[in-house]
Amino acid sequence: MITVEEIRVIGEARVLAGLDQGRLDLQRHLLTHGDQPQLTRADYTNLSEAVGLRGRGGAAFPVALKLQDLPARGVEAVVVNGSESEPVSRKDRLLLTQSPHLVLDGAVGLAHALGAPHVLIAVHDPAAALSVREALMERDDGLAVEVRETPGRFVAGEARAVLSALEGGLAVPPGRRVLPTRKGYHRRPTFLSNVETFAQLAVLARLGSRGFSSTGLISEPGTQLLTVDGAVQWPGVIEAPTGVPLDTVLQYAGAEPGPVLLGGYHGRWLEQTDGVTLQRPEVSAGIILALGPATCPLGEVTRVAQWLSSQSAGQCGPCVFGLAALVDDFARLTVGDPQGWHDAHRHLGLVPGRGACAHPDGTARFLTSALEVFDDDVQRHLSGRGCGRPVLGLLGGAR
Amino acid sequence: MNKLEIDWTRCDGHGLCAGLLPDDVLLDEWGFPVLRGREITAGELPDARRAVLACPALALRLNNR
Repeated sequence: MITVEEIRVIGEARVLAGLDQGRLDLQRHLLTHGDQPQLTRADYTNLSEAVGLRGRGGAAFPVALKLQDLPARGVEAVVVNGSESEPVSRKDRLLLTQSPHLVLDGAVGLAHALGAPHVLIAVHDPAAALSVREALMERDDGLAVEVRETPGRFVAGEARAVLSALEGGLAVPPGRRVLPTRKGYHRRPTFLSNVETFAQLAVLARLGSRGFSSTGLISEPGTQLLTVDGAVQWPGVIEAPTGVPLDTVLQYAGAEPGPVLLGGYHGRWLEQTDGVTLQRPEVSAGIILALGPATCPLGEVTRVAQWLSSQSAGQCGPCVFGLAALVDDFARLTVGDPQGWHDAHRHLGLVPGRGACAHPDGTARFLTSALEVFDDDVQRHLSGRGCGRPVLGLLGGAR
Repeated sequence: MNKLEIDWTRCDGHGLCAGLLPDDVLLDEWGFPVLRGREITAGELPDARRAVLACPALALRLNNR
């Protein structure tokens, strides 16, 4: 298990403001951030549009579009997706355990503006659930706010899987492509987003679009939470302006030189970090994994592939059989079997777009970019001599 | 515009669709359908509808979006 304790900030602290002194209870939250202003639905839509706010769970969907897609009345619930099923990510857990009131302000403020009677917080980490429950004891929001513990499986964090779990069903994505904004919680219109999105909304409501835009990119101003891990001296969560150079963040974390995985287990490998800036959608849920020079890249990738394969919900044939086949292909490739290389390329073409959720697509994206970026290494393995490096397990994945 | 769609949570790879619509559906090495993804023309619609009705898992669908 990868653990993250450090919290650092590049530039201005916004969603992590005040955390240098520890967890923010209601009093310290109000001292740090001030009162949450009462905004209307139009205010939230306009503000989100003005600053180009995008969801922070990975898909980077524009918040304003999500708000505009909701019907004029009858919004049933605001759902905070705190399942944070990416195993390396720590940012959402950090917000829920250390600054729960900021997340609640964002969710409750929006629920009032939308006229939604329910706020549901889906969490699978017991410490995060406890922290939010403690925070709820301190405040009176005038609507039904509930913390629900959901399973921690990888695909259980997918938006529709979370809704299914909240309704008491299995935490798996349904086969039909329905939008939560139209048919969400109990088939009623629902606004669902990631924990950090709500914290950013709470900051945006207080600062206004001009204040919010005082840092970061013009196209997507503000800050972002990043989880940095792997071959780094100081792993942890970093708040940084959008558009910050990747090299700056790596330097901050004391990363060893080498390839970097951007966007988590469904992300892409980067051979070069020069000139790469961090923004959505590339940065996805904000996970940055440094590989360093000492470990065998193919071995690391195979371990992650094994883990991803084991996390399939088991509903869709191409995902169940395809990911298992890919693990086998990569294992054979690593020991120098050229047929493994050919099979991997064929299977990578067979998996994307053929499942109820994006798990097969994301896994294929990760493995395809690995074959591209580690081509030299692949050739060395295919020559039968291997790369001479041990598999350190820096990326997590299967043991 | 009509297109075939598969509910992957239902599909068990019976393979009837590939037999009934060989121009639109192939089977992969595990027996699951691979859609060509092209539009179903008006002339092909009756056959496509029959294939949808024949799917034992009710996984094949015709989407007109």
